Amino acid sequence: MASTTLFRKVVVLGYGKVTGEVLQYVYDRQAEYGYELVFIEHEVHALSVTEKICRDNGIPFHRIPDKKELARFLDQIGEKALLVSASNNFLFPASLVEKAHITIINFHNALLPAYPGRNAPTWAIYKGEERTGITWHYVTAGVDEGNIIVQKECRITEDMKAYELTQCLMDLAAEAFRESFADILAECARTREQEFDQGRHMYRSSEVPADGRLDLADRPERIYRILRSVDYGKNAIFPPMWTVIDGREAEILRYRKISEDKCKEGEGLVYLPLDNGEVLKIKYRYMDDKTGLT
Amino acid sequence: MEEKILEILEEHCEEALEYEGDNMMEDGVIDSFTVINVVSDLEEEFDIEIDAKYVVAENFRNKEAIIALVQKLMEE
Repeated sequence: MASTTLFRKVVVLGYGKVTGEVLQYVYDRQAEYGYELVFIEHEVHALSVTEKICRDNGIPFHRIPDKKELARFLDQIGEKALLVSASNNFLFPASLVEKAHITIINFHNALLPAYPGRNAPTWAIYKGEERTGITWHYVTAGVDEGNIIVQKECRITEDMKAYELTQCLMDLAAEAFRESFADILAECARTREQEFDQGRHMYRSSEVPADGRLDLADRPERIYRILRSVDYGKNAIFPPMWTVIDGREAEILRYRKISEDKCKEGEGLVYLPLDNGEVLKIKYRYMDDKTGLT
Repeated sequence: MEEKILEILEEHCEEALEYEGDNMMEDGVIDSFTVINVVSDLEEEFDIEIDAKYVVAENFRNKEAIIALVQKLMEE
């Protein structure tokens, strides 16, 4: 029996791995349901594969970096449409969200109502959580407030960096989307309302763990946790962490947990002993000497 | 140096060693998260800084491109 949906159009928005997987899945189901599929790239990612997926499969690809232009583009959708916000920081205007023929679902990289807003994996690591997860929810006018469609959990391991946690969460998000898509299209997904605590904190992009500064006199375990929480590889989600060494401001270049026998003397290096016998190696450079490594 | 780069690649993405095309990202051999791990290990091993401007698909299109990138950065 053919699958049916009243949605005439599915619009996927986002960037990165989860968006690629969601886009591919929505494309794979297109013939079965008969909807029109469109992809929008609002934020450009240097290593994104979504443009290739569109090219290979003949999916209309729109690169719309400007927020106002994107709002206008979405506002012009006249038919009943499902907007899938896969990994996307664009805030949908209330005027769009409230349209009866528009349904929007969003992937959030935490177990809502916990850690709403930006950079949730960072805050989960920084706060020392042992578990976190993902949420697909319907979008309402409030940020990350809509009814929950599906959630999945994962463990935060002791050495996990923000980008590693992000990868786990994206895999979970793609899996959860595949499991829920048919019900979403049939508009029969069983949802539940979020229950908000008083004083719920909405994390903003400008917030940085420890205000971006390391105190090297702090417990090395805490320093390691802070560094892991802001580590998205070369994706400059946060400004580089900094500290003060010998009275001079120093930018943290990289860090690594190593065994004690691998410690070597060298300029621009600090070694901090961890409780488990390993050592936290931190490479830095003075901020008034950016011409080369110290 | 080349041998060490290949060791790092092997550790994170064995397929990359056999790959003979010219776009590992688009061909699904390597993903953005693997690139982060490879970059981190290259920086540590060769004590270099790989600026974000170099972390683009072009420089990770195959193992030869990665070797060329590290060589270039070490000569700078």
